[in-house]
Amino acid sequence: MIILATPESELYRLFGLSHTQVQTVLGDAIKNTGGKNATGDIFFQAGASQGISLDQGVIKSTSQSTTNGAGVRVVVADKTGYSHTDHVNITNLRKCARIARAIIEHSNGATNVPLAASGEQHNLYPVTSSPVDAELSDKIAILKKIDKICRDYDPRIINVSTSISCEQQIVFIATSLGDLFMDVRPLVRLNVACLAQDGTRRENGSSGYGGRYDFSVLVSEDNYTSHAHLAAKQAIDLLSARPAPAGEFDVVLGSGWPGVLIHEAVGHGLEGDFNRKGTSAFSSRMFEAVASPLVTVVDDGTLADRRGSLNIDDEGTPTTKTTLIEKGKLVGYIQDKQNATLMGAKLTGNGRRQDYRFAPMPRMTNTYMAGGDHTPAEIIRSVKRGIFAETFGGGQVDITNGDFTFSATCAYMIENGEITHAIKGATLIGNGPKALHNVTMVGNDEALDRGVGTCGKNGQGVPVGVGMPTIRINGVTVGGQS
Amino acid sequence: MKTINKTSKKPSAKTARKATSKAGTKPKGAAAVLEGIAKYIVDEAAKLGATDCEVSISTSESVDIAVRLGEVEQLEGAQTRGVHLQVYVGQKSATTSTSDFRRPALRKLVKATIAMAVASEADPFAGLPETHHLAKHVPDLGLYDPAIDAMPVEKKIQLAIETEQAARRADMRITNSEGAGFSNGGGIVVYANSRGFIGSYRGNYCSLNVGVVASEGTEMQTNSWHSASRTLAGLESPEHIGAMATARAVRQLGARKVKSQVVPVVFDQQMAARLLSQFVGAASGRSIDRKSSFLVGKLDQVVASKLVTIVDDPTMVGKLGSKPFDGEGLPLKRRTIVKEGKLETYLIDAYAGRKLKCDPNSGSTGNLHLQAGDKTPEEIIASVKNGLYLTSVSGPGFNALTGDYSLGAAGIWIEDGKLAYPVSGITVASNLLDMFAGIIAVGSDLEFRGGTNSPTILIDKMTIGGE
Repeated sequence: MIILATPESELYRLFGLSHTQVQTVLGDAIKNTGGKNATGDIFFQAGASQGISLDQGVIKSTSQSTTNGAGVRVVVADKTGYSHTDHVNITNLRKCARIARAIIEHSNGATNVPLAASGEQHNLYPVTSSPVDAELSDKIAILKKIDKICRDYDPRIINVSTSISCEQQIVFIATSLGDLFMDVRPLVRLNVACLAQDGTRRENGSSGYGGRYDFSVLVSEDNYTSHAHLAAKQAIDLLSARPAPAGEFDVVLGSGWPGVLIHEAVGHGLEGDFNRKGTSAFSSRMFEAVASPLVTVVDDGTLADRRGSLNIDDEGTPTTKTTLIEKGKLVGYIQDKQNATLMGAKLTGNGRRQDYRFAPMPRMTNTYMAGGDHTPAEIIRSVKRGIFAETFGGGQVDITNGDFTFSATCAYMIENGEITHAIKGATLIGNGPKALHNVTMVGNDEALDRGVGTCGKNGQGVPVGVGMPTIRINGVTVGGQS
Repeated sequence: MKTINKTSKKPSAKTARKATSKAGTKPKGAAAVLEGIAKYIVDEAAKLGATDCEVSISTSESVDIAVRLGEVEQLEGAQTRGVHLQVYVGQKSATTSTSDFRRPALRKLVKATIAMAVASEADPFAGLPETHHLAKHVPDLGLYDPAIDAMPVEKKIQLAIETEQAARRADMRITNSEGAGFSNGGGIVVYANSRGFIGSYRGNYCSLNVGVVASEGTEMQTNSWHSASRTLAGLESPEHIGAMATARAVRQLGARKVKSQVVPVVFDQQMAARLLSQFVGAASGRSIDRKSSFLVGKLDQVVASKLVTIVDDPTMVGKLGSKPFDGEGLPLKRRTIVKEGKLETYLIDAYAGRKLKCDPNSGSTGNLHLQAGDKTPEEIIASVKNGLYLTSVSGPGFNALTGDYSLGAAGIWIEDGKLAYPVSGITVASNLLDMFAGIIAVGSDLEFRGGTNSPTILIDKMTIGGE
């Protein structure tokens, strides 16, 4: 007979606490507010994460850490009190609640009624067993195979660094509205980096992939072989790459990971907190044309198996598919409970946190630009002199003035519609609200990245997805050395 | 600034401690309890079959206060603790961590860690530092200020509010605020290993910051300033922090692009410190061994202009980067990494030492700095006819393998030796070896504001990407 676990039974199994005890702590956290409308929640997290890395042909590290903690939050309108403990028991939770409720005396009297989470919890990443529990020897064997595949690719590959990371976290959100939500979140990732040398010149290439799925999917031979080849090819290609030019160019961005552009140029600027406070370059621009009519941008936390997906966000709200920009027009923001309440907006399921040590904020899930009509080949052919960038390191944005930067690790010159030679060191810079007006062609090859992105905001990192079809943007400033 | 990266970002460890010592004065109270736990783990590991073992334990308490537009916005208080354990079974090793300090749980963890090491594979160079390389004593570096812990919350809130007020009062064009904050934290760090080392230190820190938005028409520019210190008295005043944030935001209003060109670039203190940390990062012995650094094969060679002397000194008393021993129990000393342009040493931890066949001198840095020169920042700016005063960079465009450098940039354009107008939306590019060889002036304005510090510097030429 199988007895199905409930959130209540799992909470008791992992933390030795009943939901009734937890609700008593929450009740004490928000009582005697003098008529002010306080709400609270407690976020519990228990899990394990593991990392194994191979470098210079040997296993360099084998590590595992366990997580077990909780954070108590008290919210009064735009004010937040927060406290966490690494050692969950009823005494420590009460202590956290006392610290968190100290915010109540700083209330300015505003009494916004908090939104209750509504809708069904998704089931986007059902896994049969924790990826952490898969055999260590299997993980090591795969890393050794990858090392060999890369070295066999070309004798100029002189080193391979490859790693597997696995985690499974169980989270609970108890709210002062009486709810208890639970989500079991697997996350796996494989990374490979190759160092190539030719004479005195050395270059790096890397690739990786992952998501919320079973370990067996991560280590299918086709998957790791193709990524090993990608990393090796990139390192070899860069050996003959020339320095990138500097100046304004028409740029073609490849599909998938170059969606970092969307994440930086518009995604962050549409997060509810910056817009409520009026510090985003997109503040007060709802329903205005902020991009070319070819541009539609979506944040979608409901995609099966994806690194940025969640069944519920870290406040218990089921994730949604939210259109942010529709045919160039700004139509939506990314919200958590506090900011949605204060802005009179609906919940989008984007209240996320790095772990129990942090209060949640509006964060992206999987953010991508929708596909268009052109083939990638047509787009490249249309450029007289420009740059085709397909592999990026990462990016950064100044929310307030909208300036974003992102760096191509491997790119190619386009001359008279043909790709000519590889270039390196190309940083692309632009202004979010302006650059997206210059998107002149959108490809029909919409794709998400392969599941390696981590987004940083106010010191908190969360896994995210980005995506895009091949697109052409005119007049992008490229910062190279020549 | 918000970022996205392919690598996962670890939360920054704000650690600050005071020394207690194993040989001299015995640790008391909490430090003694934690040392007891560390010793228990080392002993259990030996009993359960580990050939070597090392443990670090940290506990900290922190308070973070955020105010915005004159009101408290967020109050956070937390106690954090963790045990990190590495065991060796011969040349096989495994690392684990937990926040459960109960002895049965720790014993279980030690057992599981040993099992993991056994299931892993040998690395012939893995192991603890040799006993004779370990620190012999734990100096007291004055890392703990009781005044920080004694300060009531109301006073901290007041400091943050005053800082934000000072910033908003300083200029009419400040129309919005990202808020001001006061943070403090501190705790105890213990490191112990099976070669007989056990040491702990305790310390704390505090910081005060503010971010403001300046606007004119539809344009908005944000900027911030902060001060961090190991003593309450060492914090800059709310008036100064507020005025700095406001001046930095307001002076970017009206920023424009310039044409692509090759010009001299003045790096302000913060930009120069960032550059210094990128350069010294490439001197890590592990990167050298992996041939993953542009400084491979450069030991005892000229890697920078004669004006460049880079010093690392974790032994300074009461500074943010000070610590009495490193994460492997190695002693820390003042060392010169680059002397008048010549690379004197790599940063060697125990592992890199075995691979590169040299003695370890610690793979970490503390109070790393570029030695001050003789020119004021004003004199340096005045020496530039047409160039960039760089005050902000963005993006991940630095490659430690090749030294290639290409970042988004903002700052003030220099015309005829004067700061003329703000610029943004441009890029600066070069290669770190060319940049360090091209340092033609070093400022006299060295201040110890963080773990890595630099005076203003002038680099002879870099490529600006613009219109």
